[in-house]
Amino acid sequence: MIWQLAWHEWRRVRAGILFWLILAITQLLIAWLLFAQLEGFARIAPQLSTSGAGLGAMDLIIAPTLGSLVLILIFSVPLLGQGGFATEHRQGRLTMWLSSPRSSMELVLGRVIGLFISGLPLLFSSALTIAAIGFGVEFDWLRFATALGMLVVFLLWLSAIVIGLSTLTNHTVAALSMAYGALLFLWLLDSFIDPTAGWYWAALLPHLESTFRGLLRISDIAFFASTGAAAAWFAVYQIARRRGEL
Amino acid sequence: MDPLLRIRGLRVGDPRRPRLRGIDLDLERGDRLGLLGENGAGKSSFLLVLAGVLTPTAGSIEIDGLNGRQALRRHIGFLPQRVACYPELTVRENLDWSARLHGFVRHRRRQAIERALARVTLEPSARTLAGQLSAGMQQRLGLAQALIHDPSILLLDEPTASLDPIQTAQIRQLIEAQADSVSVILATHLFDDIREICQRVAIIADGGKVTDLPVTPDLDLMSFFQTPRSGAG
Repeated sequence: MIWQLAWHEWRRVRAGILFWLILAITQLLIAWLLFAQLEGFARIAPQLSTSGAGLGAMDLIIAPTLGSLVLILIFSVPLLGQGGFATEHRQGRLTMWLSSPRSSMELVLGRVIGLFISGLPLLFSSALTIAAIGFGVEFDWLRFATALGMLVVFLLWLSAIVIGLSTLTNHTVAALSMAYGALLFLWLLDSFIDPTAGWYWAALLPHLESTFRGLLRISDIAFFASTGAAAAWFAVYQIARRRGEL
Repeated sequence: MDPLLRIRGLRVGDPRRPRLRGIDLDLERGDRLGLLGENGAGKSSFLLVLAGVLTPTAGSIEIDGLNGRQALRRHIGFLPQRVACYPELTVRENLDWSARLHGFVRHRRRQAIERALARVTLEPSARTLAGQLSAGMQQRLGLAQALIHDPSILLLDEPTASLDPIQTAQIRQLIEAQADSVSVILATHLFDDIREICQRVAIIADGGKVTDLPVTPDLDLMSFFQTPRSGAG
């Protein structure tokens, strides 16, 4: 039943020009970033082979490009979500959602998974572009697949955060602002605080960068699972409260 | 025989400033009941409670002998003041969304969509984007969405408020055409809607029901709004 609503969300997203525009821009950006990294790598490749630093294309091309893809997703997914439940209220459709016989959990998870599915074309088309490098240089496919797997988890987390925050307001712009504010804060957090501080756990990038370096840690998955589930649970609570079920 | 809908002592909102205060109402099968009142009288709040969106602070609602919010959501079709559709999706896709919200599987969804399109004679526009429909056609789409799950009761909130006279006449005709299969509660501030569609009218003022009477050709609805009210509710 959740899939029925997720499919509706995916159809709604792809019916708009915004999705195709974001997809095209993402492709352009990723291709440009990839070539820029490749050019830099080609310049320093002779020194690398003599220095014995052990750094290769995976570290100097793929990992930074995946890092840029994270930022692109942070900007794209809230736009694809188009304000989530806040916009439904603004457009007068929330009444239909709230008055449906579906449970609040189905309504929320349907939207979260729908947004996740809508983000997958961005992720996989970018991954394909990046993977094309693998035909020209030494490429660690397992490490790349691990990083891609973590990005899939990250995309699901991102969808839960965007939908969760959209239940806090009735204004599309406010929902988008909150999503960008929260995500960019988490994205930049590791630059501001000491790695030994307890708050460092909330910083977004360290949880992804370790995977890009080929290190799959349970604590990173736990971060995305726990905070994503909390965002989804919060959204369910908010919707149930609006429906007078609490 | 029990009424299809039985409402007793329905209250909504802050007890000091209630939006609805102690409404009692019965609706029989096949009834077409009009709720007439000025803007802010509580008509929309009443419909939102029945649609399972607003929570009553007191009172009971029984539909076909069943209590509870889920029973309301399954038995009631709701056409809000502003049609709830996605302008970037076609009419058929919007109906598909409504059917999905009611949990219909693919085969049943297709049947329900065809039936709903036929009920509001919207088949020729099934592939048209909802955003390209005229106000009257959008209202038909809203009506089809409300009817998609074959509800027992159809709630209509000001269905003709934004329509021109021809569209208004067409929508009234369509609503009347549904009357054999569904009971109707129509909230409006237009006397003509009441006269042309409804068999009964309940006058709502200050969140309470002032009176409930049959619609007859000589009924002077204006008189309820000219005389000072006493003891609403």
